Order: sequence, then C-alpha cells, then structure tokens
Amino acid sequence: MTGLRSAGVDSTKLKRMGRLRAGDLLFNWVTFAAALTVLLLLGGVIVSLIYGSIPAFQTFGLDFLTTQSWNPVTEKFGALAPIYGTVVTSIIALLIAVPVGIGISIFLTELCPPWLKRPIGVAIELLAGIPSIIYGIWGLFVFAPFFQATVQPFLIDVFAPIPVLNSIFAGPPYGIGVLTAGIILAIMVLPFITSITRDVFDTVPPVLKEATYGLGCTTAEVVTKVVLPYSRVGVIGGVMLGLGRALGETMAVTFVIGNAHKISASILSPGTTISASIANEFTEAVGDLYTSSLIALGLILFVITFIVLAAARIMLARMNTKAGN
Amino acid sequence: MMQSAVAPNALPEKISIKNLKFFYGDSLALKSINLPLYEKKVTAFIGPSGCGKSTLLRVLNRMYDLYPRQRAEGEVLFDGGNILNPGQDLNLLRARIGMVFQKPTPFPMSIYDNIAFGIRLYENISRAEMDARVEAALTRAALWNEVKDKLSSSGLSLSGGQQQRLCIARSIAVRPEVVLFDEPCSALDPISTAKIEELIDELTADYTIAIVTHNMQQAARVSDYTAFMYLGELIEFDETSKIFTAPSDKRTQDYITGRFG
Repeated sequence: MTGLRSAGVDSTKLKRMGRLRAGDLLFNWVTFAAALTVLLLLGGVIVSLIYGSIPAFQTFGLDFLTTQSWNPVTEKFGALAPIYGTVVTSIIALLIAVPVGIGISIFLTELCPPWLKRPIGVAIELLAGIPSIIYGIWGLFVFAPFFQATVQPFLIDVFAPIPVLNSIFAGPPYGIGVLTAGIILAIMVLPFITSITRDVFDTVPPVLKEATYGLGCTTAEVVTKVVLPYSRVGVIGGVMLGLGRALGETMAVTFVIGNAHKISASILSPGTTISASIANEFTEAVGDLYTSSLIALGLILFVITFIVLAAARIMLARMNTKAGN
Repeated sequence: MMQSAVAPNALPEKISIKNLKFFYGDSLALKSINLPLYEKKVTAFIGPSGCGKSTLLRVLNRMYDLYPRQRAEGEVLFDGGNILNPGQDLNLLRARIGMVFQKPTPFPMSIYDNIAFGIRLYENISRAEMDARVEAALTRAALWNEVKDKLSSSGLSLSGGQQQRLCIARSIAVRPEVVLFDEPCSALDPISTAKIEELIDELTADYTIAIVTHNMQQAARVSDYTAFMYLGELIEFDETSKIFTAPSDKRTQDYITGRFG
C-alpha cells in the first residue's frame, strides 16, 4: 500500500479503503464467532453431561452400564434396561421403515404416474409434520388396543411352536410394549427416510437411467443395479438420520413402551428406553445420585448417537474406497 | 418430404421408418418421417437444434416410453416387425438396438462390471467366457490396452473419452444389431473424437449404425448415408457423398454450407 500512497492516490480514498478493510475484518470475526458458538455449545453440553454423571459413575463404576436393576428406593441404578430398550426399539423401527421408505421412494421416482406423485409426496410431508405427542396418544389409545386385540395374539399363536421365535413373541398381549414402540417409531421415522431417499434418487442423472434401460434392463434392474449403488451414500445417510431420530425420540415412546425397567426376551412385553426413562423420572428424581444417574443415561444416549454417526461415516468411507472413487 | 429417393438397390433395410409422427404432449415434433436405415451402414442425422433428429433416434429404441405424454404414430419396421407395437418387448428391443449417449454414462461399478453387467442380463456364462467377452468388447472399443491392468477400478475413474469408449464397449458387448449414437462426441476433445469416429467406422463391419451429430464434418467422415432434418421434417436423404456435394434441396445446401443452423 505504501507504493500506492507514494504514487499520490488521494488520501480520502485511502481512508475509505482502510475503513472498508476494517469492516471486512470485523465481518470475518463476527462470522467466525458465530461458527465458534456451535463448538462451544457442543463442548458445553458434553462437559456438563460428563460432570453431571460423575457421581453415578463414581458410585456404580462401569457396572452402571451392565446392571439391569433401577431402584430409586435403595438408590441402586443400572442403565442396561434403557440401553437395551433404546437399541431394540430403534432396530425394530429401522427394520420396518427402511424397506417401506425405500419402496415408497422407488415408486415415487421411477414408477409413479404424475398425477399420484403430489398426493403421496404431500402425505409424507404431513406425516413428518405431526408432533410426536400425537403419535403418542394415538399409539396409546388407538393403536395399542387394536394391536392387543388382533396382531399380538396372532403373533403369539403363530410363533408358539417355533423355538427361539416363541420366546421373542411370548405373551401375554399387553398392547403396549417394545414392539409397539418400535412400530410407532417406524411410522415416525418413515417420512424422514422416504423424503431423503427420494431426494437422493432424484439426483441420479436421467441419462444414466436411460443408458441402463438402453441395455434392455427392467425397472427393477435399473433400481437395484444402478440407482441404489449410485445413491447409496445418500440412502445410508437417510437411514442414519432416521436412526438418530429413533434413538432419541422420547414422547411417543414414553406413551407406548410401558416404562418397565427390565429386559425381557419377548418384544411384546413392556420395556423402557433411555429418553423415556429420563422424561418419566426427572420430576421425581430426588437426591443427587438419582439425578446423576439420569444425566448419566443422557450421556450414554449421546455416546450411542455419536457411535452411530461415526460408524456411518466409516462405513461410507469404506464403500467409497471399494467403488474406487 | 423427400426430394430425392435413393435409387432402388439391393441394400437390405434393417430399419424402415414409415410415416412416423411424434408428439410431445400436443406438439408435433416429427412430421411424417419416411426413412430407411440400411444394414451395416452408417446413417447420420443432421440438422439444426430442435429439428427432431435426437427425437427420431430415441424413437428407434422406444426410449421415449420412459416419459409420460410422449408418443409416436406410424410404423418403424425392424426386421419386419413394427417396434411401435404396444406389445413390443422393450427390454428385448433395447438389447437388440443399443444406444450411446451424448454424455458418457459409466455405471457406478468397476470397468469389468460395466461390460459384464449387460451380458449377465441375458446370458449365464462361465467366468472364463465372461472374461473373454469383456476383453473382446473392450478390444473392439479400442480401450483394452488402456484399461487391462485396472479392470477392477471404477468406471468413473476413466477420462471422458475413455468413458465414452467404455459405454460403446458396453453397448456392443450385448451383441446388438443396431447401435444408436446420440451426439457421442459432443463432450469430447478432438483426439477422443477421432478415436470414436475410427471406432464407428470399424463397427460397420457388424452393426447397423445411426448417429446424430451437430458436426457436419463428422457426418461426412463417418456416414454412408445422411438424412437432413429441419423443423421436424426430413428434408433430404441420400448417400453422404451426394448430400455434401450435390444436395438437391436448397435448405440442405444452405445448412451444409453454414448459411443457417
């Protein structure tokens, strides 16, 4: 700049330039600070979760993770039952929602007549917009009684003679329980998985599909051999987002899971999840150890979610390397 | 309408387009096209943008069927059968009439699988046979020497020109009878273009070829017959040498001399 100054550029212009540069610098710092907020928030949450759960882990050690009992009276707390319930309900939800969601997306993007596209698309968006409390009351008052009267007795009867399966589907039919929660979760994550996979399928270049059809492929072959491989990263992303939602979903699950701190072989019996336990008990958590145990549950959920995301990343990276790009 | 009919000769017609009309919704894109594609010859479709030459090509393998509100009327006889017939088996048709697109379209899989993919759809052959077929197709597409050491790497890792040759290899691997090229070189550099043109020339030994091109020199270089189209009409169809030296229609002459288009 001294070069310019010596060249006799008039000084008001230089002053203005200087002000603009200062403004730009300020702008940089403001946006940087905004970005920093995210890190601070995340860090703050982690730190407070860890700090809050110290008493629980000091008292119970790692046994906290492997103990099933949860007894506020004797102040003996273990997280195994909620962890188990969280994982199992989420798995059930994905087992149902992933195939259905991908099926809907394939139909919408590849096969659906144009006049039907909008109604289905809008229905999915509306499904995503329903507050979870509504799924909760619907699940408890409508779905669970129906489930109890029809599907559960059927499942119990059908699987009764088959070993292993008969203990997974053992009675009595309560209506509410782990399977019911899983199904409600499936309905809740379905729109997420559907809308993401649909968007992802839409990114497959039409000419690539044409080229596949051009070899003489059927729609099923085009979808399984080209559309899905091409878009797998996004599909897995959508599934992981659904999983994240299923793991953390609180309200609806609390309504229909039965809130029993026990692990049963049968998915028809009541159970609990991490978030349902916290939501149910935070008001009655008197005493530091009880509160700390609930916070420790929160930390565990945080870690599980983190592991899911990390696993997804590693999986995607590996698949990318395999595909050679 | 046709100004000049090719003198009756012994050349067998692989595909005969008769009175073909094509509609995008309500708008008429092809107006009564009559055109033969002679067996084992290259026919070039030329004409300004929007004249319907790509549309015509996409009728030949019924690619338009993928889209709603597009329909064709008339007859397209392929070995005597009308491919516009509603009962036509599209998968079989497209296996017999291959297509290479404007942009290279390698599938998201290895180079080997890109070729083997199409073969597996129709034939159940041993690994050794498959290896031979893949090598033959890649050799035919003048790509074998460049990829033989990396058959398992992704088709997407190749350069644009290589990808386009991979797509040609993929098309011919399923042993079609006709190959349609839709501006196959418009996304390629001159060297790759020269290679593809050479390849098209060699392919005429076994295949009937139709090529849409914007490049008139290319049409002159690679084709035996040329069809000049304008505003959805076939203006002139003749031997390429005649079209480019002594066209009978004024519009053809104006177009090939660069006066419009």
